[in-house]
Amino acid sequence: MKEDRLAEVIGSAALRIALRSGRRRRPAQPVDRDLRLTVTAVRAEAPDVAGLTLARPDGADLPAWRPGAHLDLVLPSGLLRQYSLCGDPDDRASYRIAVRRLATGSAEVHGLAPGTEITARGPRNAFPLAAAPGYLFLAGGIGITPLAPMARAAAAAGVPWRLVHTGRDRASLPLSAALDPAHVLLRPDDEHGGPPPVAALVAEQLAALPRGSAVYCCGPPPMIDAVRRAVPAGHRLHSERFSPPPVRGGRAFTVELARTGRTVDVPADRSALDAVQTVLPAVPYSCRQGFCGTCHVRLLAGRTERDTAAPGSMALCVARAEGDRLVLDL
Amino acid sequence: MNQDPDRIALHARDVAFDWSALPLHWIPGEPFATHLLDVLHLLLPEGERWFVRLFSDALPLVRDPQLAEDVRGFIGQEAMHAVSHQGVLDHLATAGIDTGPYVGRIEWVFREALGDRGLDGLAAQEWLVERVALVAAIEHLTAFLGQWVLEASELDRAHADPTMLDLLRWHGAEEVEHRSVAHDLYVHLDGRYLRRVRNLAIAAPMLVRLWAHGVAFLLSRDPEPRRARWRDLARAARLGLCPPLGTMLRCVVAYLRPDYHPSRHGSTDAAVAYLASSPAARAADGSAGAV
Repeated sequence: MKEDRLAEVIGSAALRIALRSGRRRRPAQPVDRDLRLTVTAVRAEAPDVAGLTLARPDGADLPAWRPGAHLDLVLPSGLLRQYSLCGDPDDRASYRIAVRRLATGSAEVHGLAPGTEITARGPRNAFPLAAAPGYLFLAGGIGITPLAPMARAAAAAGVPWRLVHTGRDRASLPLSAALDPAHVLLRPDDEHGGPPPVAALVAEQLAALPRGSAVYCCGPPPMIDAVRRAVPAGHRLHSERFSPPPVRGGRAFTVELARTGRTVDVPADRSALDAVQTVLPAVPYSCRQGFCGTCHVRLLAGRTERDTAAPGSMALCVARAEGDRLVLDL
Repeated sequence: MNQDPDRIALHARDVAFDWSALPLHWIPGEPFATHLLDVLHLLLPEGERWFVRLFSDALPLVRDPQLAEDVRGFIGQEAMHAVSHQGVLDHLATAGIDTGPYVGRIEWVFREALGDRGLDGLAAQEWLVERVALVAAIEHLTAFLGQWVLEASELDRAHADPTMLDLLRWHGAEEVEHRSVAHDLYVHLDGRYLRRVRNLAIAAPMLVRLWAHGVAFLLSRDPEPRRARWRDLARAARLGLCPPLGTMLRCVVAYLRPDYHPSRHGSTDAAVAYLASSPAARAADGSAGAV
């Protein structure tokens, strides 16, 4: 390192001013972001898809959102699940979600009756709709939920759009029937002898849209991968980013936090980061997939596997113990 | 479609760039403009790692879960920016340009002059808040630069190296995407006007000075060494290969408005659109999907 005199002088002056400023600084105030909502209506959008309408008990306006946004629902069991908003962004009094019955979380949502109170957080947008000369929306089954408001927004803005909805059978294609049929292609596998040839379908649909049209795709991962291969480089492809994949084939182990003096158990199906957070809620992390390096900590004892960190440290978000116990500099 | 009620969920992208075929003057025939932008690779990694440390230290002070989520997304994006520019820096070393003397000084600025200075308790906290205000001011400038590089079609017309353009625009798009986070964090922790703007008075001249030294340094280490001249800067600006001075001054003035908020400057749409077509960002999304 090489000293920089001017930077030193400025840094020292800034520090003196900072300490003086601090005397009148008001500490950060807590902000409660929880939305306490009531289920106001439940309807079957398809045989295994429940459509829920959520509103504040007093009917007051909800935070605004734009197509592609999702809501975090805190289910009565404590499970946290994300669902795309599929209603009308101009309706400020209620949110709509549509949930296919798949596993524990969705089964719980299906059990929610009108009048149930539920906590939500958000909305947040991980799938923003940006201006484009045209849109091709590709929905796989319940993947229609974020795309339906997008298609309505495109229609309202007078921008050319097409929507292709694929799924096992007609019963697995909810919500798209309410969109303008002139722009919608319903493509159930059972009527066409199997899943669509994605490359040909994308090429054919894009040919009918203006140059530079954006592709928005939401569906099961194999469909998104197929679309990714089919959309040529240089074209805009938007797909929703989901939470990191669940831990598979892990073994439980113990982490000792040397500086904190605590020990936490890491269950087989959770990351060390999840476990450490229960003791140290402000532990730094970001990507939760091992690449950004924010959660890397010094490893004082033990060996790790599946680790993306440099030797001598551990990526809390993905690495696991080779043995039963690790000691970390935390 | 710009007045955003949208709260973008920020996430880092696992990008990778291959520099093995990068020409030294990656804007052909424009050594000055090339080195002007190359300063980014020397200046940014150290600065971004400093952001990451500061914001990680600030997280325990945040009492708004939504802001904490933004800060985490910001940290991951900045960490990837540092890694990606570091890659170019390493490539410059293999090309025979030893950036050590300049980078050593940048390290000193961020680790010593603007480092933790061995403080603890309330003093450490106050110094942290001050530096968050400094980051907010720097982020105002980087969002401006990000918006510029997204729109600078002159770089394409000058046949700039496509991989380098992708790095600059992916980075620029993420700067635009997360442009409100540092400001929102500062407002949450303090928010007073004077403290906000006095840090721009530090950030802007500091960056200009470090940048000027960086350009002079790189030009002196070029295989055909030359001096940095004002007329070369004027030429780069005229060709649209760097942001025009007038727009930069307006950008500084905008920060002085008491009702300033980053969401009113720059376009999330342009950022989102670029990220959907960026080769690096698309490849990163692909690898995330394959996990």
